[in-house]
Amino acid sequence: MLRDFAELWRYRELVLNLVIRDIKVRYKNSVLGFFWSLLNPLLQVATITVVFKFIMNVKIPNYSAYLLSAFLPWTFFQMSLLDSSMSILMHGDLVKKTYFPREVLPVSIVISNFVHFILAMMLFFVYLLVLGTPILVTWLLLPFVVIIQLLLTLGISFFISCLNVFYEDIKYMMTVLLTVVFYCTPIIFLVEQIYYSDRIPMAYQGFILKFFYLNPLSMLMIAYRKLLLPPFNAVGITDLGLRWGYLGIAAFTSLIIFLAGYAFFNSKKWQFAELV
Amino acid sequence: MEAIIVRNLNKTFRVYHERYGTLKGLLLSFRRARYEDICSLRNVNLSVEAGQTVAIVGQNGAGKSTLLGILSKVYRPTSGEVIINGRVSALLELGAGFHPDLTGIENIYLNASILGLSRKEVRRRMGDIVEFAELGEWIDAPIRTYSSGMVMRLGFAIAVQVDPDILLIDEVLAVGDEAFQQKCYRKVQEFQKVGKTIVFVSHDMEAIRAVAHRAVWLDRGEVRADNGVEEVLAAYLESCRQSEDETKR
Repeated sequence: MLRDFAELWRYRELVLNLVIRDIKVRYKNSVLGFFWSLLNPLLQVATITVVFKFIMNVKIPNYSAYLLSAFLPWTFFQMSLLDSSMSILMHGDLVKKTYFPREVLPVSIVISNFVHFILAMMLFFVYLLVLGTPILVTWLLLPFVVIIQLLLTLGISFFISCLNVFYEDIKYMMTVLLTVVFYCTPIIFLVEQIYYSDRIPMAYQGFILKFFYLNPLSMLMIAYRKLLLPPFNAVGITDLGLRWGYLGIAAFTSLIIFLAGYAFFNSKKWQFAELV
Repeated sequence: MEAIIVRNLNKTFRVYHERYGTLKGLLLSFRRARYEDICSLRNVNLSVEAGQTVAIVGQNGAGKSTLLGILSKVYRPTSGEVIINGRVSALLELGAGFHPDLTGIENIYLNASILGLSRKEVRRRMGDIVEFAELGEWIDAPIRTYSSGMVMRLGFAIAVQVDPDILLIDEVLAVGDEAFQQKCYRKVQEFQKVGKTIVFVSHDMEAIRAVAHRAVWLDRGEVRADNGVEEVLAAYLESCRQSEDETKR
């Protein structure tokens, strides 16, 4: 695996060039061009603000900010997986005719989505300043959470991009699966809202928490929320805070998924040229 | 010293009858995905001295492209051994990864990095590339506006900048017009003069006679002859004529 990694590093310029190509080509023939990259998250921010501030009338102040703090990282995760499922088949001619480490393809797709994520996050910080939420010291810890998410996303991308070469059903499965995962992850709701819900029997409360805390994706979403925003105040629910131990477990699980994904991808990658 | 050594090389491709049936085949074990194993190379032995130019001839489906694919590491051998001494540049396709919406310059960076050149190296050689490709002002236009000849010239101009020890060329030169081919062969001869090893696949007997030191005839995955250019070509052309006569009858 180290040798594979060294070879990938040798081809880092190809990754860079593919990312540049991806970003240039995406908006090449549109009038607004790169502005679309900002417009997408901007629209998401606007929609969620309108829905939860004016229509749903949730009693938690700045609820839209709490939602977006998890929604934007989720978008990065979702888009990366959807794009990478096709990454190898889309470059079939390249895979058939040239030698290069195959992982360059999913990696460059995750990175170009990552660039859009960073742009969206910058926009989000402006939004926070406009709302007037306090500037927090915990913002400095965000890079760690971002790195953990990058590892997790890359790891799963390796599995998906590789399997999709063998079974094209994976791509369709992903679309369905991601919708399910979206609603099982605290993105448009807060963990606390479930934990304190009257419909959940006391006996299951601990189990529910474990379910959210042990799954690395949902733990990451929780971490973004807690690091970006102050504890919320509302009647009947209190902020549970960030459990650092569980974030550590999420970091460890993500690393394992990354390594397993890369090892799996490496074991299959030289068959791609014969299948695409 | 040998630049390339191939020992007892075999390559088998598994061809599935229905590509989308593979998951079904996995889930429903009573309906196995049907496939065939196609033997593309059979017990191939080959060694190429550094500085030698070897032409590979053979009919369609004889395994020529597969052999170059294995030498350039696109495919892994099913069994056998391949030893390569030196930096390889494979020209299996000109302009791999070109994107029609990007300009000539942007595509040069992209294609060159696929071939293993860094941005710094490309920047230094940009002048040479543009000059060799004879694109002038067009270099700043998106390549979907290029003619196919221009795309090929650009692809070749980048590929020869890699400065490899070993150059693998698959029929790509057969497609251009007369002037382009002349230019390519001049470049190939330049490479020969500085002692580079070249393995190329071609159906152009004139070109083979002009540049090759040696020829290898592949027939249905096996080395049928490996000798001086004239001997191999004579035997190969004779066999082609015979099989043509047979089909006439």
